[in-house]
Amino acid sequence: MVKRILLYAALAIGAFLSVFPYLLVVLTALKSQAQLTSTAPWLPGLPPTADNLARMLAGDFPRYVLNTALMTALLTAGQLVFTTFAAYAFARLRFRGRDVLFWLYVATMMVPSAVTMIPLFLIMRELDLVNTWYGLLAPYILGTPYGIFLMRQFFKSLPAGLEEAARIDGAGALTILLRVLLPLCRPALGTLAIITVISSWNSFLWPLIITSGEDTKVITVAIATLKDGIGVDYHLMMAGSLIALVPMVAVFVFFQKHIVRSVVLTGLK
Amino acid sequence: MTSHAADARLPAAAGPGRRRRRGRGWQAYLFIGPSLFGVVAFLLLPMVIVLVLSLFDWELLSAPEFVGLDNYRRLAADGGTWHSLWVTVVYVLLCIPLQTVLALALAMLLNQRVKGVRFYRSLFVIPWMATPIVLALIWNWIFDPRDGALNSALALVGVTGPDWLSDPAWALPAVALVSIWQHTGYNMLFFLAGLQGVPKELYDAAATDGATPAQRFWRVTLPLLNPTMFFVTVTNLIGAFQVFDTVYAMTDGGPSGSTEVLNFRIYQTAFKEFDFGYAATLSTLLFAVIFLVTMAQVRFFGKRTTYDLS
Repeated sequence: MVKRILLYAALAIGAFLSVFPYLLVVLTALKSQAQLTSTAPWLPGLPPTADNLARMLAGDFPRYVLNTALMTALLTAGQLVFTTFAAYAFARLRFRGRDVLFWLYVATMMVPSAVTMIPLFLIMRELDLVNTWYGLLAPYILGTPYGIFLMRQFFKSLPAGLEEAARIDGAGALTILLRVLLPLCRPALGTLAIITVISSWNSFLWPLIITSGEDTKVITVAIATLKDGIGVDYHLMMAGSLIALVPMVAVFVFFQKHIVRSVVLTGLK
Repeated sequence: MTSHAADARLPAAAGPGRRRRRGRGWQAYLFIGPSLFGVVAFLLLPMVIVLVLSLFDWELLSAPEFVGLDNYRRLAADGGTWHSLWVTVVYVLLCIPLQTVLALALAMLLNQRVKGVRFYRSLFVIPWMATPIVLALIWNWIFDPRDGALNSALALVGVTGPDWLSDPAWALPAVALVSIWQHTGYNMLFFLAGLQGVPKELYDAAATDGATPAQRFWRVTLPLLNPTMFFVTVTNLIGAFQVFDTVYAMTDGGPSGSTEVLNFRIYQTAFKEFDFGYAATLSTLLFAVIFLVTMAQVRFFGKRTTYDLS
């Protein structure tokens, strides 16, 4: 009994620490300019106002949200398909150069992004893709080494004998992937989907560099421009990030029932 | 996959095995093809360009001038950069152990029969969901020495908190704290998924053999989490060595260089001093450090045995 109480106490403390900074986002988003200066960040402004949210939603912000949603959907679809195929090949198939190629993938994760951005931009300029959807999506839509690494580890953790029965039945690599392994990979796929959705939604540096028009502007860039203006419009920024955060929490809640579906429960012994 | 199909394929399976294997190999290249194109065009090519650039003196407006290893000679004598590397290592040591252990502990707490698992899981991952710029702003408020939430809370228990972000001794731990806050729940997800994959039978068997909870952890849980642990530590270390966002938004490298991590110095060199050639040299250094650390991990994890559950 004492153990249960300690368990829930630990969970509650962890939850509070996780959420507390977000309370500041919510509180600030609901403050007027006057309340912003007269109250401490962690006290509510009374009465709360929805003006900031209304102002953000009345302007161009919804359009940026749509742009971001489109970018996120395309990147996630691409990531799930291409990453799964590549990770499957790396984890369960034999071919020449497999390990060398895989470590090459991992090695690319070690390159500091701050500087590869410059050559990447130069490449996009050569291809005439600056300020286009293609330029925005191209570097990330074919599957990222991070995602491939993640899925490979999951594929590898499945028992080695799984394919044998199907292979004896004459199933090819594709059939084995789609019929035998993927159904067992739902937790991993759910995890990958969440990671991709959220990191695409929050991606900042690349959209900032490659796009400049309204047609491809995403929310992170829009929020950052609020900071670059005269002074910082804290309450508008927080309203913007609150609007940006809500869909992510929804996505997480939706996907998370897939994440932790025990492999044992799906019939694997 | 009926038995009919199996019968039909049997003669083919008796044929030369070499052809079959090669056929599958060809398919494997098809599977990795799209991602390989992306990796080569958008990651490897830029990487090569950076390597080449490190041999040039290029200040963006002038034409690049080949200088051979001059940039590397300059690096050897550049005390500021070695200081940055040291700051980066301290940062990594502050973040990674705590962030990994906390994540595993949280995952193990949540892997029990707990009411509202999904609710807690969502809350723990929330720190990872918001835009980094906004998070940095919020944490600057929390760390504010006078009305910040942290020092106000410390004052309640009679402790006078330091001037977190302006104190050279505390600025780096403060930035590390934000990283730990941001990534613990996220890493917990991987451990939780890994823990759910541990067959319950193994715990039952261990319990029957009279294993203590500690023994079960060290002998069953941890070895089976080896692939997950490998992924988490490798990707976290790579990420920590490349930390940029939080430093950029919270301390701007200060006070007096105490949070000037290497990636931040690279950014400064490239985009403030427009010294792209030397920035490329610094990137090569950072890459080399990360590469060595990752290889060490590969060896460490490669030596440890994993159970084959088949």
